[in-house]
Amino acid sequence: MAEYKMESLKTFNYDRPVIEKGYANQTLCIDISDGVISIKPVTEKMKNVFIGGKGFDLWLLWNAVNSTTKWNDPENAICIASGPMGGTPVYPGSGKSIVTTISPLTGSVIDSNVGGYFGPYLKFSGFDALEVTGKTSKDVVIFIDGIDEKVQIFKASGLPDDSYTLSAILTERFAKGKPRNISVVSTGPGAKNTRMGCLNFTWYDLKRKRARYKQAGRGGIGGVFADKGIKAIVARWDTVTSKTNNPANANTLKEVGRKHSREVVELDPKQNQMAQIGTTHLVPIMNDFDLLPTHNFQYGQHSEADNIGQEVFRRIFDPGYDGCWIGCTLACSHGVKDFVPLTGPYKGIKVFVDGPEYETIAGCGSNLGIFDPHTIIEMNFYCDTYGLDTISVGTSTAFAMECFEMGLINETHTHGMNLSFGNRSAALEVVHQMARGEGFGQIIGRGVREMKTIFSRDYGADPDLMQDIGMEAKGLEFSEYMTKESLAQQGGYGLALKGPQHDEAWLIFLDMVHNFMPTFEQKAEALHWFPMFRTWFGLCGLCKLPWNDVVPEDNKDTQEPAKVMKHVEWYADYYTSVTGRQTTADGLIRMSEAVYNFQRIFNLKMGFGQREHDNIPYRAVGPVKTVEYESRAERYDKQLVEKHNVDITGKTTEEKIALLREFREKLYEKLKDAVYKRRGWTNNGIPTVETVKRLGIDFPEVLELLRAHGVES
Amino acid sequence: MIKVNGKKHSWYEGMTIKDLLKDVNNSHLYAVVRINEKHISRPYFEKTLVPDNSEVFLIPMIAGG
Ligand code: SF4
Repeated sequence: MAEYKMESLKTFNYDRPVIEKGYANQTLCIDISDGVISIKPVTEKMKNVFIGGKGFDLWLLWNAVNSTTKWNDPENAICIASGPMGGTPVYPGSGKSIVTTISPLTGSVIDSNVGGYFGPYLKFSGFDALEVTGKTSKDVVIFIDGIDEKVQIFKASGLPDDSYTLSAILTERFAKGKPRNISVVSTGPGAKNTRMGCLNFTWYDLKRKRARYKQAGRGGIGGVFADKGIKAIVARWDTVTSKTNNPANANTLKEVGRKHSREVVELDPKQNQMAQIGTTHLVPIMNDFDLLPTHNFQYGQHSEADNIGQEVFRRIFDPGYDGCWIGCTLACSHGVKDFVPLTGPYKGIKVFVDGPEYETIAGCGSNLGIFDPHTIIEMNFYCDTYGLDTISVGTSTAFAMECFEMGLINETHTHGMNLSFGNRSAALEVVHQMARGEGFGQIIGRGVREMKTIFSRDYGADPDLMQDIGMEAKGLEFSEYMTKESLAQQGGYGLALKGPQHDEAWLIFLDMVHNFMPTFEQKAEALHWFPMFRTWFGLCGLCKLPWNDVVPEDNKDTQEPAKVMKHVEWYADYYTSVTGRQTTADGLIRMSEAVYNFQRIFNLKMGFGQREHDNIPYRAVGPVKTVEYESRAERYDKQLVEKHNVDITGKTTEEKIALLREFREKLYEKLKDAVYKRRGWTNNGIPTVETVKRLGIDFPEVLELLRAHGVES
Repeated sequence: MIKVNGKKHSWYEGMTIKDLLKDVNNSHLYAVVRINEKHISRPYFEKTLVPDNSEVFLIPMIAGG
């Protein structure tokens, strides 16, 4: 084990409050520039309007930054919060944290939802949210000790850079013999040297006797963490029971928790088997429906996809309980034991790899033309330990590979690296270079948006073509689903507040496969209800998977099967039983609406959040290149003829692409109109005064901002 | 004889997934079926035979990430 030193710079003692109905009623603020530690109260108004979790984070961040704050300015805050239900061990999926900050990739607010024990331990230690501002040139470790009621800042030296070993060392260092009492948040060298750094949040696996971790992946939060000089944040808490969160009505909570837990235990084995194979079942299914991104989202299918699907990972995953929070019966966070990397600093050494999940398999596999599970697991391992987001790494590398294959860049630019699709060693080398801040990997690590600028400015690549094939929107790389044939999912990605991540709306199947929303109004309704309901999980400290990845047996006979209303009603009961605040299924949507609209306005404050920022690259909408069109010519020809009444006789592929593009781009704009209307926004995508008043977010600063953008009552 | 969602169901030689779903209410909601450990998606329902003695699970909905 590495020799390291930790010197205490500051100790802050506090009296831990009793948790009341899911709230600690205060937040912890740490300015690491000068080591000032303080506590802020949580007001009733904060609870009413922002609920908790992401809502609290956004409110703290809003007050910390101004409209010109950049990601690496000291006033930028990293906010971490769970939520009122976070830390409940008797309801599946109740240990999530949400992290927000100003993103290095987007320049605006980013949020990322993550498992692991940190959020609940933070709350039980006495804080509903943590806000870290400032910057330091030292490497610091922040220790929040809920058992001994103190917060400490240490100056650290000699600690390893990579998250895998660092997490293990810090778990042991602070555990006092009880490693399960510890959760570590850390990142790695990749976060320092790229714009796509992630954070790893640990949970202690008692059976395997090791710290495992989950990732707050999106938007480069790890980069902000590293830039601030934070090596790690550690929380320590004791045993968790159903009483720790002090729910308003323990009996109702137990009852509703038991119902949902039992259903998961009974039905998951008959349905998606996530307790055995995680989200890997999605690989062959997406492939069958032409939705698995391959070769930078050009195609949705590949003959070798079965090599990286659930049948393979079923054999590879280490069997056992894999819940990223105590008591989660869905327990989908699987890993690979005794994996031996073939490259990099862990070459030849047995390691435990957390993952891969679907997104990593598609991002670091099929989208790069790689259909070898070993390479994907190795990419997964190094991305995590280097503190890199597997989705942005995958989508950015896929873009660079397509540019390389098209001759937009060449080996002079890549420093001799052959970046062809399917080149496994090149893909791994890119990840190592990102961590070292060297070579062409460093350029890829700047993300798709910046690569487009660099390639056209410095290498003379065609900017229009790169605009079409560069899969980013709002500066964030797309997550791993094909959207060409689902207008609703184009909206799900393009209209998402933080950028194209599927956690806000995943509508492909409902739209494309089940055809649940044939009209614009139905699509707009779906693009209202689903983002709102999904937002709600992030307010409360919950995981969305138990909601609709296991569904009641009679769900299909209900009026709106896609919403899984039986579970939505259980969630309303769950919320009421913990907080004592009466609510209904509609009430949950109303809670989210306030926070959702506030985040949209936060984007506006940072210079974004208008119609033009909801644009997406044409690759997300339809075929850009002739090979793409011709690979699905029958489908596209049929659409031109039957849907758009075009006589295609004698037309070249280029002409047909241009026609299809015109139709599809118009439809996307029409979708924006319908969704903005449904959400109570102006035609420019800004919430109206009436909307902010209805939602109780009509703060003077909000109204001023609306006025400055021409939105008045 | 096969099992469908844990319940016994008759079987005949040459039965495809598409044939099996004819006996199920609201079968259009099923886009994926699992036969033992293998997932079969709708584009392959017509040409995939259900083997005798297999366990079939009708996957209610695919909910994504
Ligand atoms: S369902 Fe999976 S990701 Fe969600 S809380 Fe449970 S183990 Fe964690």
